[in-house]
Amino acid sequence: MTLATEPSVTEPAPPEGADGADTGAPSIGGAPMTNFDAPETPGGRSRTRVVVGHLTLAVLGLACIFPIYWLYATSLRRPNDVYEVNPLPWPLSVDSYRTAIDEIDVLRLLLNTTVVAVLTALGQLLTSLLAAYAFAAWNFPLKRLLYLAFVGSWLVPFQVAMLPNYVLLHQLGLLNTLSGVIVPNIVSGLGVLLLRQHLDGFPKELLEAARMDGRSSWSTLWTVVVPNLRAALAALGILLLVNAWNEYFWPALVLQRHNDVLQLGIRSFMSSTEGDDWGPLTATAGLACLPIFVIYLVLQRHVVSGFVRSGLR
Amino acid sequence: MSRITVENVTRRYGDVRAVDGVSLDVAHGDFLVLLGPSGCGKSTLLRMIAGLVPPSDGRVLVDGRDVTETPARDRDLAMVFQSYALYPHLTVARNIGFPLRTRRQRRAEISARVAEVADILDLGKLLDRRPRELSGGQRQRVALGRALVRDPGAFLMDEPLSNLDAQLRTATRTEITELHHRLGRTFVYVTHDQVEAMTMATSVAVLNHGRLEQVGTPTEVYDTPASAFVAGFLGSPPMNLLDAEVVARDGRLHAVAAGVDVPLGLGDPGQQGEPGKQGEPGEQVRRPAVLGIRPEHLSLRPAASDGAAPEATLRGTVRTIENLGSEEIAHCRVGAAEVAVRARRPAGFTVGEAVVLTVRPEHTHLFDRESGRRLVWRPDRDAPIPAARVPVAT
Ligand SMILES: Nc1ncnc2c1ncn2[C@@H]1O[C@H](COP(=O)(O)OP(=O)(O)OP(=O)(O)O)[C@@H](O)[C@H]1O
Ligand SMILES: [Mg+2]
Repeated sequence: MTLATEPSVTEPAPPEGADGADTGAPSIGGAPMTNFDAPETPGGRSRTRVVVGHLTLAVLGLACIFPIYWLYATSLRRPNDVYEVNPLPWPLSVDSYRTAIDEIDVLRLLLNTTVVAVLTALGQLLTSLLAAYAFAAWNFPLKRLLYLAFVGSWLVPFQVAMLPNYVLLHQLGLLNTLSGVIVPNIVSGLGVLLLRQHLDGFPKELLEAARMDGRSSWSTLWTVVVPNLRAALAALGILLLVNAWNEYFWPALVLQRHNDVLQLGIRSFMSSTEGDDWGPLTATAGLACLPIFVIYLVLQRHVVSGFVRSGLR
Repeated sequence: MSRITVENVTRRYGDVRAVDGVSLDVAHGDFLVLLGPSGCGKSTLLRMIAGLVPPSDGRVLVDGRDVTETPARDRDLAMVFQSYALYPHLTVARNIGFPLRTRRQRRAEISARVAEVADILDLGKLLDRRPRELSGGQRQRVALGRALVRDPGAFLMDEPLSNLDAQLRTATRTEITELHHRLGRTFVYVTHDQVEAMTMATSVAVLNHGRLEQVGTPTEVYDTPASAFVAGFLGSPPMNLLDAEVVARDGRLHAVAAGVDVPLGLGDPGQQGEPGKQGEPGEQVRRPAVLGIRPEHLSLRPAASDGAAPEATLRGTVRTIENLGSEEIAHCRVGAAEVAVRARRPAGFTVGEAVVLTVRPEHTHLFDRESGRRLVWRPDRDAPIPAARVPVAT
């Protein structure tokens, strides 16, 4: 025989050599497999836990979805059936939608609402981005105080600022206009707050690298910061858009009797004398919800990743 | 084509002086390494040169032009960051081309230049990847490429190798040195790794607590450290520093402490060569000082055979022995101090053994106990005096 080498893992000692058999090179083949069916009880316990967890989540999920389902179910019943409690609306009918479209100019309202919501959200996004960038990238006098002012504007209840804003709009002649709805909401304290959190986690060296590479701070914002903040911006944008879309009270105040946005259009089916007209009301509400659902479905990935992923890397 | 001068630059953060009155002159084509422990202000100094941090005091000059108030982008300097700071949303090619796109060059020109740089750095196959799809070493090269592409007057680098593994670090070290030779540009390079400093630099500036301890070639800094701090920072293990007293005996100066009696070779041998002259004024000199001896300058003489040792020296016992492969390091207790000895293996140490260590007089260093500055012999004085404060490098 030649010189014996130490038994290695890749080349087990040949079984026919007497010495090799004694050293008993570990058989790697079968050993780990035996461990697989060992932990039986822990697996069973965790399964019940999983089932209970899923059940709880399912119940909560149903509780969230049910009112929305009921809204659409009611809107699809025949006008005489709106007080039915049968969970399945049958026979189906789009009469309520027809009534809604006949009585109020749903398309115009939809357009107006879209304009208001999109402009408000975009404006808020832009101002938040600029403010948050300033807070995160520079030190300047009164920085903390200014930041607190932003946070404060978010904490102050709407009702407190409502009347002064209303008076100001009146003086500016913006009452009963869509601009009157949009302009006072162009800055969002919440947006500044959230974006600053994101930007504080933004690697400072990237900003410095851009400076060394010759970019101005404005160009750095658009070529370095924004592309890397897309997820956060998308998430915040959707949040702001949904908020703006669902706004009811402020448009009601500014637009007074004009039913210029969908949310106010719903009002016209509410009546204290004849009782609410549930069919068209739910139909309009259902229409008002649709764009948000669509946006959410399209951008879902961004929304989730924006909230889950905190930073860049 | 850049000569970088820093004049008395200070940067304060509240009460902290991150950089404290530093003056440096980096000649065109020099490779200056800023060396020092963590938090000593290396990065801050580099950022002030770059224009990313304004100095609280002092001036920064590039080619004699005062750029203290000039924005970073107009200084013609490129920087490589420790984290590489690659733009995560851009491909390698666009990362490298980023500085050029700022300068509004034509697209064809840019891609030609990017291809050229990618070729130098062997990045050709990676041009379409994003930074997160690269290994650490590849990212480092992209960062280097982004600096190279502009062909700046000087390169500033902040610990560019610290995120690489040991092997890659050695390889990249060589590459950067070659790059320096090829480009002939000025490099200012921050590191806390003395091996990088010794191997790459044409001159080393050692910083401590924001102050400049010494500037000089790697050889000067290693062989004649200007302060106990520099002596104790360089070398592995670093120089042994022992509290001792300087006394004059037999016509020459000795450093004496418990277990220590070392004849000194101070300053220039020409002035020192005649012991008679030197001893006379100093008969009663007793001066507290710090004795410094590099571990590799100590040699072993077994205690038993020391009967006739004329320059008997350090006596102690071996505590531990470290085997480094080709060499070994013995840690000995001498009096109250620890002394490391470094010698080719086998050096013949045994743990617990009593040893006598000898050192040649010219390999001894002496530092002031209070200020830590190096002491040199001035024949016209009674006692050793501190060397002049670190001169500004030229
Ligand atoms: N922006 C800052 N605000 C406050 N203190 C700072 C700031 N930047 C640096 N310092 C302080 O200045 C000192 C020097 O910091 P610097 O980053 O220059 O050290 P360094 O030598 O680069 O260290 P390291 O090797 O760890 O990178 C440190 O004490 C640090 O805390
Ligand atoms: Mg640093």
